Amino acid sequence: MTKIKIIEDDLSIANELKEILENAGYLAEVTEDFSTILDQIRKEQPDLILLDINLPKINGEILLQQIRKESNIPVIMVTSKNTEVDEVLSMSYGADDYITKPYNPTILLLRIGAVLKRSERSTDKIIYHNLEVIPQKGIINQENKEIILTKNEMIIFLYLLQHQGKIVTRDELMTDLWNNDEYINDNALTVNISRLRSKLKEIGYEEAIETRKGQGYILHE
Amino acid sequence: MNKKEYLKDKRLYLLIGITIYLVILLILLAFKVNIEATLAITFTYFVGLITILIVDYIRKKTFYNNFKCKLDSLDQKYLIVEMLQDAHFLEGRILTDALYEIDKSMIEKINEYKMQVKDFKEYVELWIHEVKLPVASLTLMVHNQKGDQSKKLLSQLTRLDNYLEQILYYVRSENAEKDYLITKVNLSKVISNVALKNKDILLAKGIDFVVSDVDIEVLTDSKWLEFIINQIVDNSIKYSKEQNAYIKIVAKDENKVIRLIIYDNGKGISKSDLPRVFDKTFTGTNGRGESAKSTGMGLYLCRELCNKLGHKIQIISEEGKYTKITILFDKNTFFHIDKE
Repeated sequence: MTKIKIIEDDLSIANELKEILENAGYLAEVTEDFSTILDQIRKEQPDLILLDINLPKINGEILLQQIRKESNIPVIMVTSKNTEVDEVLSMSYGADDYITKPYNPTILLLRIGAVLKRSERSTDKIIYHNLEVIPQKGIINQENKEIILTKNEMIIFLYLLQHQGKIVTRDELMTDLWNNDEYINDNALTVNISRLRSKLKEIGYEEAIETRKGQGYILHE
Repeated sequence: MNKKEYLKDKRLYLLIGITIYLVILLILLAFKVNIEATLAITFTYFVGLITILIVDYIRKKTFYNNFKCKLDSLDQKYLIVEMLQDAHFLEGRILTDALYEIDKSMIEKINEYKMQVKDFKEYVELWIHEVKLPVASLTLMVHNQKGDQSKKLLSQLTRLDNYLEQILYYVRSENAEKDYLITKVNLSKVISNVALKNKDILLAKGIDFVVSDVDIEVLTDSKWLEFIINQIVDNSIKYSKEQNAYIKIVAKDENKVIRLIIYDNGKGISKSDLPRVFDKTFTGTNGRGESAKSTGMGLYLCRELCNKLGHKIQIISEEGKYTKITILFDKNTFFHIDKE
């Protein structure tokens, strides 16, 4: 399970964040003692760190520099300081992303997903049963058959693949699409999903995507 | 200062001088001094009197004329103290010393206010960052406790955040020296952030968001630009029409400039309001309507920030049809100094 360390001095935010991350299937750890952060990181070996800039006893940017001296753990800066200077500084110290408060939680999860994916560097191909999904080319291979997906269909399918067996809301799909610069409306989303379904039907996956009324969609494992 | 004014000013001394001469004349007559001696004394007396007046006139005229001339040509009148030449007579010295003292105390007073304003601004900025924490916390809580009210709560939180951003950028626009950083920024990234921020309300109101050809780099501060575009899009949403509303964003790379055009088919702005939309606290007929209350700060801040960043901002509109705002980014080498 992916372990995320939350370094945030506002306890209310930290605990809500923990809940969100745990609901999304991560293992989240809230920092309580800020004087021994580095030791904690060494011991816990998290897969990703969410780091605030304004911390008691230590500045987040300085802490980031210290972390970078000994490891390449992905770090996302999460702060209420939304100036270009802070962002540029953080990125130059080796942060993987920079998000300002207040943020949309769905977007935060997308960014976390993107940063983790980047650090794995192995998503050229995704296997789903006997299908081989190649996002870069926008195609699905099945033995000697090939199906071409549009960009929007691929974004939707990938999101469903990453959340197999869980209910995915329309809002989450919409956020992911908008996050990928595809600013489509509700009707277009419905159309894209039904097109995706009919394409999956061609290769025998008619029932793969199920609609849960009033909740969203689910891709069966 | 001219001769007539000077003589008018010195008429009391002249009167005393003539009176004394008359007394001397009476004494001379009483002692039966002969006529030649009387004439010689009269001549000497008047030459003396006139010489004193002429010398005094020249000294004062040079000093005061110089003073007035410099005062008239100065843009900032209080700087006169730095420009004064030394006075060689008592009144002039009293004047220069007094001016110097007045200036000094005024500067001290101004500095006091400057410090107060600076402290206040720093406090406001700090305060905004503090307030953002509970806003962030609330946003997360709403997300964790999804219910029927979630969307409504989130839209109010978004509004709250928008107002916080406005005051933050107002404070920053007033003392901008340290707060912005010009770098190469891809427009699509900035627009993407604005789109995500407004996604829920755009979808809820059924406004189509159409973006094309924005994969262009410009020289700007991405945070400031994001704020500017967000204000414009926010206005487009506020004053959108009920049916088939859309917002189109397109960028054009021209010879010397890059144009970013934000076009909406909303309520538009009346001809009489249009020239004043960038004025501080101006609320046009749209902004005073019941559908959306305006603070009159949004577009004012857009122009202020654009000025600071060196961009131009233009607005065209037709009431009931459309509003089109263009931001012009210079491709001038002016900002490339760091590379040379």
